Order: sequence, then C-alpha cells, then structure tokens
Amino acid sequence: MDDKRLFVNTTPGNRFLDKLTGKTKVRTFLILIVLLIATWDIRVILPFFILSWIALISLKPDWKKVWGVMAFVVAMNLFNLFLVWVVRPDYGLNICGGSTVIFKFTDFYIITSETLWYFMVRFLKLLGTFTISLTFIQCITPSEMAAGLYSCKVPYKVCTIFSIAFRYIPDISRDFHSIKISMQMRGMELDSEKTSLWTRLKQNVLILVPLIITSFDRVGNIANGMDLRGYGKNKTRTYYAEHEEGPGDKKMKVVYMLFLAIMIFVIIWRFFFPAEYEVWCPWIS
Amino acid sequence: MSNEKRSIKSLLLGTWNTKTIVGIAIGAALFGVLMVFGGIRVATNTSLTSAMVVVVVVGALFGPLPAALAAGLGNVIADLISGYGFWFDWSIGNAVLGFFVGLLPLYGARIEEGVFQVKHAVIYTILCIIGNALAFGIVTPVFTMLFFSSELTITWIQAFSAIISNASILVVIGIPVLFLLAKRNARATNLSKED
Repeated sequence: MDDKRLFVNTTPGNRFLDKLTGKTKVRTFLILIVLLIATWDIRVILPFFILSWIALISLKPDWKKVWGVMAFVVAMNLFNLFLVWVVRPDYGLNICGGSTVIFKFTDFYIITSETLWYFMVRFLKLLGTFTISLTFIQCITPSEMAAGLYSCKVPYKVCTIFSIAFRYIPDISRDFHSIKISMQMRGMELDSEKTSLWTRLKQNVLILVPLIITSFDRVGNIANGMDLRGYGKNKTRTYYAEHEEGPGDKKMKVVYMLFLAIMIFVIIWRFFFPAEYEVWCPWIS
Repeated sequence: MSNEKRSIKSLLLGTWNTKTIVGIAIGAALFGVLMVFGGIRVATNTSLTSAMVVVVVVGALFGPLPAALAAGLGNVIADLISGYGFWFDWSIGNAVLGFFVGLLPLYGARIEEGVFQVKHAVIYTILCIIGNALAFGIVTPVFTMLFFSSELTITWIQAFSAIISNASILVVIGIPVLFLLAKRNARATNLSKED
C-alpha cells in the first residue's frame, strides 16, 4: 500500500487535458464510461479504445507506473475470461449466435471462434474503461472533481464526500507507511524472507487497527475546520478550483456533446431495436 | 451525552452535519484503499477484504445511510484507483450490505456511548448474514442482468464467495472491533461535566 500504485494529484499540471475545467473533465469521463458500459459492439468500442490510448499518451504519464498497473489489470481480466470459459466453453453460441469449433479438448471443453471473438470484445471493452479511468485520474485534482460533479447537479455535500475521499487517499498511504515503520522499530518482522505468509498477514491486520482509529480521530478536526470556514451554511456552492472556460474547453464541449449523442443513440438503439445476439460478429451477420 | 430518544427516521438517515460528511468521506477513502490493497483474493471481483471493518466503524459512529454511502462510494473509488473497470452492480450491492451493517443504533447498540452487549452482537451477526444474502444474492445479480446482461453463473460464484468472505470478516473481525470501540468510548463517558 505505498505510493507506487496511486495516482492522486493535488496540483494541476500544464498538459492540454490538465488545463480543462473540472466540468469538462468529469462530464467527458462520465459520458465515456456510460457509453462503454452500454455497448457491446466492437465498431463502437474500438474507436473509443484507440481514443482513450491517444488521451493517455498525450498525458506523457510515468510509464513504469502505468505498465505496473496495466499488467495487473490485464492478468485479472484474462483470468476472469478463463473462468467464463471453464464454466461455459461454448458461451459464444449464446452471445454471438454461432459455434465454429477450432479446437477440441473434450466434448464439453471446446474452443470456438465466436467465444474467442466475445472474449476479445469484452477484453477491449474493459481495457478501454480502464484506460479512460486511468487518464481521468491522472489529469484531475480532488477539488476539480467536486466542481465537475457539482456542475452535473450532484448535491454539493456528495461532491464534498468525493473530494475529501480522494484528497485523503495519499494520507492513508503515508499513515500506513509510518505505522509500519514504527511497528518494525518495535521489533515486528515484516520481511518476506524471514516470516511466513500467515504471520505477515496477521501483522498487516495489526497495522490496520491504528490506521482506522487515527483516520476516524481526524474526522472531528477536519469537520471543525470546515465548520469554522462556514461550510454547509448555504444551499449552493461555488468552487475556487473551477476557472473560466478556455479555448480547450470550447473544443472539448463539441467533442463531448458528440460523445453524448453517440451514447444516447447507442442506448436507444439497444433498447428499441435489440439485436438477436448481444455481440455483433463479422462473420455471422 | 444526550439521552433523548431519536426518531427512527433520524436514526436511519443519520444526522447530516459536517462531521458525518467528513466521516463518510474518510470511510469511503479507507474502504477504497483497503479493497484494493488490503485483501486476499478469493475469486474474481471478490476478496477476503479488510475493507468491511471500515463499514462497521462508520455504521457504529454515524448510522446506516452513512455506512451505505461509505461502502458504495468506496467501491466506486476502489474501481477508479485500481482499474478493474466499473462494476456499479457490486457498488450497489456493497451499499445495501453497508446499510444492514450500519443498522446498529436501531437495536440499541449505541457505540458512541459505549453500549454494546452480547445480545447486540447476536442481532448484528444475524443482520450481517441477512444483509449479505440480500445484497449479493439478490441485488447484485439483478443489477448485473440490467447493466451487463452478462454470464450469471460467474456472478453466482462470485456472489457466493462474497457472501462467505464478507460474512466471516464482518463477524470474526467486526464483533471484536465493535467491543473495542464501545470500550474505548465507555471510558470517555465516565467524565462528568463540572458546573
């Protein structure tokens, strides 16, 4: 639980995506996520997959960090797909509507091209969602996120929950680290070579208790600080982090309106003209 | 410490002051981080996660709705920082479970005043199991169908392992934590205000 895998920024950078307002960032993100969850069509997914990678590359992120997370996510998703295959090897028949056997282990465990197609679509879909959220989290600060959510008519108390939670994540990581060091100083062995996995697990639980207690002890302080600055006195709220819309925002507004139109189209199409099979497959229809 | 009776509605919703908001936020952050880093993976999407302890604490301090929000938003945050993709069906399931776990003040277990007895522990255990079964046995599969129309066999396997692992964490670690918190707060109540 150290900083290696966390991407929470507190100060905005100066890349193109960083300079956008929180409103633009959050709206684009929400539209893209809903769109990718709603669709199973590779013709929609693939362009957005490529687009999300362009966005990620444009941020020039710390690639070592990104590959670390990426490898984990890819492994997780492949394992997930493997599980689907173990339970239902011929899943392509239900979802693509065909069953072209490529390879046969036994009568039940077969590999069909439709199942592989479905796996590819699903993999691209999840990886696309992941790339979008990775891009989003790297170019947003907690306050901008609150401001952006507020512009989507979310009650501002909920926005505050989000921004405090995000702001607090690096603090958790720091607290965890210092508790671990002080526990080690008192003679707790956490080295993986010297202790067994089970004792290490038990010791990690022992770190959690002070972590949770110190975190909740801090609630009173933070709440008093906010009350003293007059938090929650008015019905509406403005955000200091939200600056005026620049030229980039005006361009992005056109782009996200286009995405919104595609999203609405996809959802309506799926709702009113449901295809016989969920996943479009080029060699079947 | 006020002894005045609070209405059921205010017990369910919690008092929405700044303290509650900050409490939910910190609970959600801890839940998210622990869900990603503080667990042993049982099956995909589910793990024997220590994050559930956070829900117990939020429920004990602030009530059911804050606990539900902390669990649900915490899951969204976990999805965002870990990159498993967004599984809003599971977030909703966790929120339902959080609500059941946070029902503590409703049956008289007032942790902030140091009241937590064996009978409360029994009711808590029963509610945890009911809440788990309802959240991951009914709510999550229904939303999975709605959102993804995905393969339900996998969801059932995941739901089953989630029920087992969450219930065991909630009972085995949750009850000692509740006793600990109650004891910690009971010590503070011995102080009386001098006029």
